[in-house]
Amino acid sequence: MRLARSLTLVLALLSAACQRGHSPGERARLVFKYQPLWGDPAPLREHLARFAAENPDLDLRVETLPNSTDLIHQFFLTALEGGDDSFDVLVADVTWIPEFARAGWIADLSDGFPPDALRAAFLPGPTDAVVLGGRTFAVPWYVDVGLLYVRTDLTPRAPRTYDELRSFARAAMERHPSLAGYLWQGRQYEGLSCNVYEAIWGHGGQAPEVGRRILLDTAAARTGLLYLHDLIASGISPPLVTSAAEEETRRVFQDGRAVFMRNWPYAWAELQAAGSPVRGRVGIAPLPSLSGQPGPGTLGGWQLAVNAHAPPERRRAAARLIAHLTSPEANLLMALAYGRNPARRATYADARLRAQAPMIADLAPLVEHARPRPVTPYYQLFTDLLQGEFSAAISGIRTPEQALARAQRQVDRLIGWAP
Amino acid sequence: MRSRGRGLGYAVAVVALLTFFLGPFVWQVLTSLWPDDQLGRALPRSLTVGAYASVLGGRPFVRWIANSLAVAAATTALCLLIGTAAGFALAKLEFRGRRLLLGAALAISMFPPIATVSPLYLALRAVGLRDQLAGLVPPYATFALPMTLWILSSFFRQLPDELYQAARVDGCTPLLAFRKVLLPLAAPGLFTTAILVFIFSWNEFLYALTFLSSPEKRTVPVALSLLAGEHKEPWPEIAAASVVATLPLVALTILFQRRIVSGLTAGAVKG
Amino acid sequence: MSRGAPSRGGSLAAERRQAYLLVAPAVAVLAAVALYPIGAALWLSLHRHIVVFHERSFLGFANYRFLLADARFWSALGHTAYFTVVAVSAELALGLPLALILHEARRGRGLLRALVLIPWAIPTVVAAKLWAWLLNPSYGLINRLLGGADINWLGHPVLALHTAIVVDAWKTTPFVAILLLAGLQGIPEDIYRAARVDGASSFRIFRSITLPLLRPALALALLFRTLDALRVFDAIYVLTEGGPANTTETLSLYAYKTLMRAGDFGYGATLSVVTFLCVALAAAALVRGLGRGWEEAR
Repeated sequence: MRLARSLTLVLALLSAACQRGHSPGERARLVFKYQPLWGDPAPLREHLARFAAENPDLDLRVETLPNSTDLIHQFFLTALEGGDDSFDVLVADVTWIPEFARAGWIADLSDGFPPDALRAAFLPGPTDAVVLGGRTFAVPWYVDVGLLYVRTDLTPRAPRTYDELRSFARAAMERHPSLAGYLWQGRQYEGLSCNVYEAIWGHGGQAPEVGRRILLDTAAARTGLLYLHDLIASGISPPLVTSAAEEETRRVFQDGRAVFMRNWPYAWAELQAAGSPVRGRVGIAPLPSLSGQPGPGTLGGWQLAVNAHAPPERRRAAARLIAHLTSPEANLLMALAYGRNPARRATYADARLRAQAPMIADLAPLVEHARPRPVTPYYQLFTDLLQGEFSAAISGIRTPEQALARAQRQVDRLIGWAP
Repeated sequence: MRSRGRGLGYAVAVVALLTFFLGPFVWQVLTSLWPDDQLGRALPRSLTVGAYASVLGGRPFVRWIANSLAVAAATTALCLLIGTAAGFALAKLEFRGRRLLLGAALAISMFPPIATVSPLYLALRAVGLRDQLAGLVPPYATFALPMTLWILSSFFRQLPDELYQAARVDGCTPLLAFRKVLLPLAAPGLFTTAILVFIFSWNEFLYALTFLSSPEKRTVPVALSLLAGEHKEPWPEIAAASVVATLPLVALTILFQRRIVSGLTAGAVKG
Repeated sequence: MSRGAPSRGGSLAAERRQAYLLVAPAVAVLAAVALYPIGAALWLSLHRHIVVFHERSFLGFANYRFLLADARFWSALGHTAYFTVVAVSAELALGLPLALILHEARRGRGLLRALVLIPWAIPTVVAAKLWAWLLNPSYGLINRLLGGADINWLGHPVLALHTAIVVDAWKTTPFVAILLLAGLQGIPEDIYRAARVDGASSFRIFRSITLPLLRPALALALLFRTLDALRVFDAIYVLTEGGPANTTETLSLYAYKTLMRAGDFGYGATLSVVTFLCVALAAAALVRGLGRGWEEAR
């Protein structure tokens, strides 16, 4: 009768779901967890196949993660705290390395990747993010840097100071009334923090100071936040920036409706794609600063680390995989096939890369001076606090002084408890 | 309700409500056919199925849908089985702890899932159900069961006692009376609950993300979250994927809907 | 009307035994799966447990004392309460007409009902992304329909929460409608016929017959929607991530950020427990208030 049939159905479904697929073979399983790269999966797959061919004693598996930094962090937090050893190589955002290293979740790679060798071959920013206390905890895979996109047909040249940014933007906006001046990411998320740090650095500050106390409430910080707030208040930046992430600003800029945009290098390929309204009329430049020196862009990008919970032989194999994925050929492949900016300095001079992507020559000095966000295991703890206060300051809910004072109090209390 | 005089007001209300609820979805279908480089325009100049090709081509969408289907069906079956039995007891039988059970069930479903992720992860790992589709069923059932219990017990309570008593007088045990008399009448409630539980299981994201890691075990919501690039958000692809992911649910809902109606006309309910 | 009075067919004890047998599976599932995580969360809330630092120390109720003084918690609570009251009211107000329309539909009934369920059927994350696109200040349909307006729906401190309410209402009103629809379909035709024979107007019928008989379904919808709204997370996370300036941060979102971004499992558990208590309080109040409605409807 119905009851029996339902029961059988449930059991059948449950057992179907329980497919314990593969029996362990003689080969050790090596699992690489990463977020999928936008583009044709074939080149990376071939590259990985070469590794598998060179290491017949390994069974290489690749597992993808959702493409949201939050979700990946959440997954790793839960899994690694739970002692998960079902994956060996993992990707980590540039701000997570101190955190994961402090927690003991990623293995020390100094044997395979001595810090000096790393510093010699890789860019300084990413190296600073992965070499902690003289030991290597991860290897940079690809990098990102915040930079300024400029409509070359609307402005004489890229602005070097904030005053120039404002005046160039205004001039263009007067000639074309429907234009927006300067687009940036002001939504309450990590992208806002990047924009704020760039503003603080551009005003001469070190933000935030990380010593025994994490100093947020500095003059440069206040000026930087005020500058961002005034961009919106004075109309140079449209109100939409307070809810905009990267894509929102990219689309508006790509439609030719803005003069300047701050974004990551990924946007370049989109802006220069066939069919883009601004194709051929865009240039990149370092961010402006108060003094006129190139303002540092925030360092972004992802690194490869080894799961410390894996047994030693798998950790060694994982290190070999990482070496394979961060080799000069791999850097070039990532750049050519996926538009990922290399972490190795030498790759920027590669002829093939320059032929395919001429802007890489302009990008090289920018990534060289990319500045990392505070390298501290406390980063995740206080970045959330800061985002709320930064957002309050730029939308005018609180003044920069109030916002920073509040943030300082909360961070002090938080860190004050830590060991 | 049937008088022709209501005419215009009624029609306007219908159109307004339908526009509000279906409009966004229609817009999403349109977005899925919209060429990416024309997104800046008010309306697309041309339509393309490129987004669908990109989403379905080379991606094991069928696999994902099968996974979601297995988990959702198992959860629904489990909830209905357990919930019907318990709902009947809660509604028609006298026993101590009625209130307690309903209250506790409600309390459990009220607990924020995010706080349970880490402990559940450890527990599932301990029993070897991590990265197994079956491992999702108990947590899903736990969060769907309270709603099931409340809805079904409420439905059963509404059914008149006379029929049940009559069957009992005829010599049926409570269970037999339940199966023969009340169950057919409760069909609308059962199918309503089934739909709700199914959809809830299908759309659940947090546990599916955390407890499953193999690509071949991925469920639809997690798979959909893979579509965006690191910074890039391909709107037409996202729209296409969500359309494809929703179609099985729509199909199933149409099927269930007919049963609700027939369930109603099948019973002889005296006023 | 007595509920489950012992019939002449068996003794009270036998009936009780059968009852326990019938509820046993439900109790087993709930106990097995829910007790450990909830217990773990309760236990964690009494500790300072910052995952990254492997720091774990027993604090007693210090976390709770800190929470009572935590301005961000109170803001989140306020936003959550406001969101719940407004959203649930809107959903009931929209759901009832929708249910009535679906009940009345003649042709294409099945298809219509299925179509209306679509918002509910779409995963919340996808639905929120859909609306994020509609609400996009530059490209969204909404601003275009408003004649090229520049309204920053999700970036304005006051507008953002209300926009989130609209999105939530869009997504969950079908749920309310379906519950009410099932209730409507449980009302026998004869009652309507009798009332019309007596010459009652449509409005009178609705007010005196339909609404009272719908009380159980309305109560159920109110209860579940309130409990869900108090724990809203997915939609807000996708739409605003709690911004701008935490003006759309709800309790669940605050707990999530504390747990999964900061890795502060101790305080995150505390926030979860307190969220749970708030929801439980609301539920208890509702059940008490609506419990009368249940009995009266018979």
